[in-house]
Amino acid sequence: MTETSPGAHPRHELDEVIHAPVRLSVVATLAAADKAEFAFVRDTVEVSDSVLSRQVATLEKAGYVAVTKGYVGKRPRTWLALTPGGRTAFAAHCQALRAIAGNGADGD
Amino acid sequence: MGEYASHDAAAALARVQELDSTVRKGSKWYVRYQVIYGCAAAVMVLCVGLLPSPQGVAIGIGCWSATMAGLSVYAARQRVSRRGFGRRHVGLIMVWTLLYLAVLFPGVMWHQGAASWWVPGAVVVALPGLIGGYLEARR
Repeated sequence: MTETSPGAHPRHELDEVIHAPVRLSVVATLAAADKAEFAFVRDTVEVSDSVLSRQVATLEKAGYVAVTKGYVGKRPRTWLALTPGGRTAFAAHCQALRAIAGNGADGD
Repeated sequence: MGEYASHDAAAALARVQELDSTVRKGSKWYVRYQVIYGCAAAVMVLCVGLLPSPQGVAIGIGCWSATMAGLSVYAARQRVSRRGFGRRHVGLIMVWTLLYLAVLFPGVMWHQGAASWWVPGAVVVALPGLIGGYLEARR
């Protein structure tokens, strides 16, 4: 993310990977957590396993989300966490959203 | 993204806040964890200091080990831990360890069986967990 040049609309600062509604929800959930179980994110974001898997794969490919697999007792678990790069990108994305929201009719 | 409007941005930010709140609620288990940790630490210190040795030490350490095992299983089963949980937990353990050692060594050396030392000592070692639980509940 670069600083907004004079006259440029803050929407140009939005992160295209995070911008999709489901991915924004996934990243926002993970931003508030050190780590979260796949099922917790699925229930919180209210999507199916397959949809979340696809979106997480996209975020993982972008380097925003780290996926860890393990066991709790004999039960397999998948943990999701935001990477430092993902946190930076999310912070910049939120900053752009606040700028757009603050611009009022500018973006309408 | 060209047609992204200010009300869309405001709605997205509201959703972000809502999800943040959901994660905080899901992380409240750590309140119970810390309170139980604090109470178990106090019980252990009272057993070690006030019960006749070596039974007191055995009972205190036994209760403490069982509680820690239970808390570890409880923590491992949780679905989410809030941001900063790792740092906070390490801080809790470090502060508790320092206080525990500060109560235990003088107590064993000079105040064995003295309630005037061990009861306040038990309160002191319980404080990191109790204060941590209180602060976590207020978040």
